[in-house]
Amino acid sequence: MDGKTLGLVGAAAILIAGAVAVRLLPAPRVVSAEEQQQEGPRIVEPMQLLGRGAALRVAELDEWIAEERRPRFRAARDQVFHIRDCPESVAWLDGAEGQRVERLLGELRHGSREEALAALALVFQLARATEWDPGVLASIPEANAARLAGLAADWLRAWGERGARDPLLAEPTRAAALLYGRLMYMAQHSRVIGTNTSAYERGLKTLSELVGLDSGRRTALGESLQSRHPEAMRKLALESDRLRGFDEEARTAFPDLDGECGG
Amino acid sequence: MIASPERTAVSGIVLGAILIGLGGVLLGLQVDSNGAWCGTGLAPLAIGAFLALAALAARVSATSGRLPRDEMGIVAVVAGFFGLSFVIAGALAPGGPWMFLEVLLLVLVVTLRKPDARTGRWIASSAFGLLALFLLFRLWISYQGSLLRWQVLSVDVPVLSWMPFDFLDPVKRVALGSFTPFEMGFPPAGLDFAVSATLWALGFALCTAGIVLVQASTIEHENDRVHALIRTLPGPVADVVERLLPEEEWREQGLHGLPERQLARRIEALVSERMRRQESLRRALDPSKLLGLTNAGGFAGEIQRAITDESHPETPR
Repeated sequence: MDGKTLGLVGAAAILIAGAVAVRLLPAPRVVSAEEQQQEGPRIVEPMQLLGRGAALRVAELDEWIAEERRPRFRAARDQVFHIRDCPESVAWLDGAEGQRVERLLGELRHGSREEALAALALVFQLARATEWDPGVLASIPEANAARLAGLAADWLRAWGERGARDPLLAEPTRAAALLYGRLMYMAQHSRVIGTNTSAYERGLKTLSELVGLDSGRRTALGESLQSRHPEAMRKLALESDRLRGFDEEARTAFPDLDGECGG
Repeated sequence: MIASPERTAVSGIVLGAILIGLGGVLLGLQVDSNGAWCGTGLAPLAIGAFLALAALAARVSATSGRLPRDEMGIVAVVAGFFGLSFVIAGALAPGGPWMFLEVLLLVLVVTLRKPDARTGRWIASSAFGLLALFLLFRLWISYQGSLLRWQVLSVDVPVLSWMPFDFLDPVKRVALGSFTPFEMGFPPAGLDFAVSATLWALGFALCTAGIVLVQASTIEHENDRVHALIRTLPGPVADVVERLLPEEEWREQGLHGLPERQLARRIEALVSERMRRQESLRRALDPSKLLGLTNAGGFAGEIQRAITDESHPETPR
């Protein structure tokens, strides 16, 4: 065997050894955004602002809101956190107070991440304090749930991808996706007989886009949901009743979000 | 410039080994949904190595224990072993019951099927076809898994699926052949199917091409070794030997894989046998004896035989 042949045989041996070695390359661990360390002042335990006890802490958000929006935010949170008698979601949102809150939500969505969290806190409180569980006699039974779902979807479109990578917003973003799925599932099953196909298709399309199911490549939100709510993601990929997993997970995570103001 | 036949065989083996190495690298990698590279694990390679060893052992026993007799022969066998291991590991489902079903099928087809000693191949074309089918199956279930569908396929239930009632949705379809992300060896972030499938298909093609090249070049290399021994004879004698024993018959006559001395003895025996055959044929076709073919027997025939056959025994007077 001459020198050149020996060199080539050596190269082949190195390649073959490399082929065995690459199999040992470890798969990178999925580090969720909320596990990342943050520096400087920050909002701790952001999920408390979406939970049942949000009223106890919501005032903390004031300092994170831009100067020009702060008074309006203060007024809006005061109104949303003092809704009484469980009005229908659509009815409240169509009123003067509701319209002001809806406009503010639009502004907050385009602000900082803390303002985005504040917007989400208002959406969750609206879902908690208004009625969106359709009654038997409702003329458009899916309207309330679909209207609230629209607010969650707008937030997710603005913050879904960024939020899933953000240490502050990662968990709230997943919560927003679950809430959206739950609301659209409710809208789908709002009729006494049969289901609302339109609500189902709309919910499915939005969630599929947000998690990257249609493109075949999962988004950051898709990854985040897959790591924490695999069952919801598994059911989302099924052939039928694909929103059910999100509904089930949301019921577990937020049992007080029942569409009847916890009653 | 024309390369000598010896160089061509050696180059073929080395090139084949390099292709196998490259293919093995590609078959050992996968890409997760975040674009990070990671390995496909050693477990499938261990199963591939076991089956490759079994296939090579079956091959050695079918050829009465013939082994490589020089460095290039050893390089060829080692490269072939790794090539087979990589191809099998790359084509099998990465884990779970599907993998063991495929292993069972491979054992039946590859190792229990008697290898054809005449072809000189370690693995038959049908086995390559089966491995290609396994690779397709692996790509399919990986595709399903990348879409978070953890079953081979789902089938509409007749009658139930035709009914226009939404509440029957959960029972309208049946999932067949379910599997889990753990069985599939997926990275935690999920699989980037497009990139990973391209790597695996390319790796499979390179490894297969490498194995075929190494196999063909090994046969050529063994022929070179026989040729070199014959060429130690004086030129005209070597020409006669090569005419008596054409190169196409060397493998069939069992000259491949023999140690030098046994090879020489075997060639001697074959030359001797062929010469005897030639001689008997020559005698049979002797012109003075061709007349015997027209002997009709009887008195005239005996007279004819007495005249033409010198070895005819004398009749007692």
